[in-house]
Amino acid sequence: MSTQRQIVESTLARRYARESRFQWYGRISILIGILFLGFLLVTTFLNGYKVLLQTYIQLEVDLTPAQFGGEITEESIAGANYDGIIKSSLRAEFPDVSGRKNRRALYGLISNGAKYDLRDMLIENPAMAGDIRPIWLLADDEVDVFMKGRIDRNQPEANRRLKDNAIGWIDRFIEQGRVEKRFNVPFFTRGDSREPEQAGIFGAIMGSFFTIMVCMLLAVPIGVAAAVYLQELAPKNRITDLIEVNINNLAAVPSIIFGLLGLAIFLNVFGLPRSVPLVGGMVLSLMTLPTIIISSRAALAAVPPSIREAALGVGASPIQTVLHHVLPLAMPGMLTGAIIGLAQALGETAPLLVIGMVAFIVDVPGGPMDPGTVLPVQIYLWSDSPERAFVERTSAAILVLLAFLVALNSFIVLLRRKLERRW
Amino acid sequence: MTTIQGEGHIFTRFDDEMKQLHSTVVGMGVLAVKQLRDAVDTLRTEDTEKAHDVISNDTKLNQLDIDADEQITTIIAKRAPVAKDLRELIAVGKIVSELERAGDEARKIAGLTIRFYEGTSRPPNEEILRDIYTLADYVSGMLEKSMSVFDDLDLNGAVEVLNMGLKLDDQLQSILRHLSTFIMEDSRNVGNFVDIVLGIRALERFGGHAKNIAGHLVFIKFGFDVRHEGIDVIVKSIRES
Amino acid sequence: MNEQVKSDSSNLLEREVVDNPDFVTVGDIAVENPAMTCRDVNVYYADKQAIFDVSVDIGRNEVIAMIGPSGCGKSTFLRCLNRMNDTIEICRVTGDIALEGEDIYARSMDVVLLRARVGMVFQKPNPFPKSVYDNVAYGVRLHGLARNKSELDDIVEQSLKKAGLWNEVNDRLDKPGTGLSGGQQQRLCIARAIAISPELILMDEPCSALDPIATARIEDLIDELRQQYSIAIVTHSMQQAARVSQRTAYFHLGKLVEVGPTNDIFTKPIHGLTEGYITGRFG
Repeated sequence: MSTQRQIVESTLARRYARESRFQWYGRISILIGILFLGFLLVTTFLNGYKVLLQTYIQLEVDLTPAQFGGEITEESIAGANYDGIIKSSLRAEFPDVSGRKNRRALYGLISNGAKYDLRDMLIENPAMAGDIRPIWLLADDEVDVFMKGRIDRNQPEANRRLKDNAIGWIDRFIEQGRVEKRFNVPFFTRGDSREPEQAGIFGAIMGSFFTIMVCMLLAVPIGVAAAVYLQELAPKNRITDLIEVNINNLAAVPSIIFGLLGLAIFLNVFGLPRSVPLVGGMVLSLMTLPTIIISSRAALAAVPPSIREAALGVGASPIQTVLHHVLPLAMPGMLTGAIIGLAQALGETAPLLVIGMVAFIVDVPGGPMDPGTVLPVQIYLWSDSPERAFVERTSAAILVLLAFLVALNSFIVLLRRKLERRW
Repeated sequence: MTTIQGEGHIFTRFDDEMKQLHSTVVGMGVLAVKQLRDAVDTLRTEDTEKAHDVISNDTKLNQLDIDADEQITTIIAKRAPVAKDLRELIAVGKIVSELERAGDEARKIAGLTIRFYEGTSRPPNEEILRDIYTLADYVSGMLEKSMSVFDDLDLNGAVEVLNMGLKLDDQLQSILRHLSTFIMEDSRNVGNFVDIVLGIRALERFGGHAKNIAGHLVFIKFGFDVRHEGIDVIVKSIRES
Repeated sequence: MNEQVKSDSSNLLEREVVDNPDFVTVGDIAVENPAMTCRDVNVYYADKQAIFDVSVDIGRNEVIAMIGPSGCGKSTFLRCLNRMNDTIEICRVTGDIALEGEDIYARSMDVVLLRARVGMVFQKPNPFPKSVYDNVAYGVRLHGLARNKSELDDIVEQSLKKAGLWNEVNDRLDKPGTGLSGGQQQRLCIARAIAISPELILMDEPCSALDPIATARIEDLIDELRQQYSIAIVTHSMQQAARVSQRTAYFHLGKLVEVGPTNDIFTKPIHGLTEGYITGRFG
């Protein structure tokens, strides 16, 4: 005869085994998630951190008055042929290099943009002119890639972008201690460029900043107001039902459709300029509105009805009830919704491509009406470029984007913590 | 009048407790009637030994009284009864006191037997005692009737008992008149006369307790106190309810 | 078989009330000089009728308790008295409810004003997530009942004193009201309700979330408040109704079965359904 105790005891082992199995499924799932995320972060980081340093080559630059047409004046400094100066300095360094092809390879050691840097340097400090001076100039991206050890000199020459002679010249610079890796200021202060060593992320950062500001200023107030009205004040009838269904549907519409909508309305009908963060922000706000409305409504619905009753019970009007009690209590939840929407907007590419924010823009935008691009589009652009040096820039841009998202999220978490109240 | 009297309580334990109390009270009623009948029997058969038994049996009734009171206290404490339940408990508390006192009256009758037949004094003659036998029959009938009303709460029965109580007064008057003729006949009867009157008085009280019980039953059912009302008022109120 | 017979008798009684469209409440619905009168109040949720022809007066300076089994409509009825049901869209109320002779469902009656005159205390203590002071002061500020800060301070103090909470909270008026114990929270809600000096206070099972000691305090408080206010309280505790009220109304499936002095209801109710409910024979 088996007693109740025996029956239960006999099943215990199986029950506990099932429980621990279930726990392990969960743990394994989380582990897999962490592995993927870790892999992504680690590879991105390993690719991207090198962008912090950039190779510079010290060149004896001939800044004798001859280079400035004999007389060193402000105009002559501004109008000098710096390209020629750098090239002649390189020739002076390696007098035995001959032939157009070899010379071009030699000139290729120094960045195309170095001439502008040099000019800016001299305009800022005209006293430098008049002598042959050692000046650190930005090296070409291939040199940079080589210096960062990503070109294997043991490979057959034909498989390398950097040929044997160039490696030889670099080796000589290295011997003389005239190659240096410095903190990569241009990357954080410049706009985009065709030359990887010149390309900076700052333009995209500012573009993203303006776009998100516009998006936030439009979407959050409108979304919150719409949510409050729909959830708290609107009568429940066919029309509001219809609106509700449509908002839910809108949240599921592919983002590129919003881009097309923006193109058709903001650009074609209203005639707003292309590629500007204002339009980008407007398009993204269209896209984030449903998210914000839905999550805000959920946050409002989560406010316990007892609070509403309490306010109504002491004679507050419906609007006062919402403004004094419901809204403050729903605020943390609404902020979360807003941040999810904005983070989504920050990472959005497709609709911006349609309204022209994919254009190659060198200048850093100074306001929402200046043409610009945004971080994810910049990532997309760079990832598409053939130069090796863009790989690390792509990764670095991804890291910057992630840093932005983390910053945005932390800000909201802090805000939330400050606003959150117990009831 | 419709009532949910037959309806079971949500707490079945409460029902059980009420039933238990009910049967205790019914038991007391039966015992009180039996005590009186036994006591009168001892008078009739001049059996003083049995009279002593009747007297000692009265402690059973006292014990039941205490038991019932304890049960009532427990139920009130545990269940916080209201309405009919409350009225019933209050009334039952009073009914058991009435029964206990009715038992005391029966004991007094048994005491008469002992006084008359154990001592050397001259026992009273049969004629005089006959009045006691009739009266005892009458009042024990009243109590029986009351207890059957307690069982079924048919208030027609209660009215009957109240009416019997009214007639009891008339009977008492005629018995006392009858007794006085005996004294006039033979003055030697005076010696027992006081005892006989006290016995009649005990029986009258016995009937009074039965009548009070009927009044409590009206209270259980309708919630008004009829002990100090005239029978007409009572009957009228019952009809109206 | 006995069971069958038993349940039949109460069913029969219930049917007599529920199926009879002309059922009239047993007992005296009217009182002299009432604070509020309700006549033939019907409440519908969409097509479903929740309250049937309820007529009852709420007397001045009296506590009227509304009892009945779950779903009998006692809370629904209570919430009609300050139009709290307005917030439920499908809810429709017909009949006359008059506060001091003014029809509260009339067009001319402003619902904000009504709720200032008819305060409410809810089942679950629901202080605002604000300080103790602000909880009490909220309604006063809202309606502009205090001319200046010191007057407001005074009202807050008086209300907390009346609610018997002053001694417990006077050193933490700026602490959140939600940090108080359940019983204190409920007394805070009562203080909040009386701070705006209503004429009538509705209480919807105010002690259902509280322990016996806290409940006893609130009951004591209700009895004191009766000196100044008229109170209607819904409770599922019959003992509570017996303890705090002067009159009791018994609701059953949306009908008001019986109204009467509490003393009578709990000793000799007239209607069988009332008797059955309060003695615990169904419900």
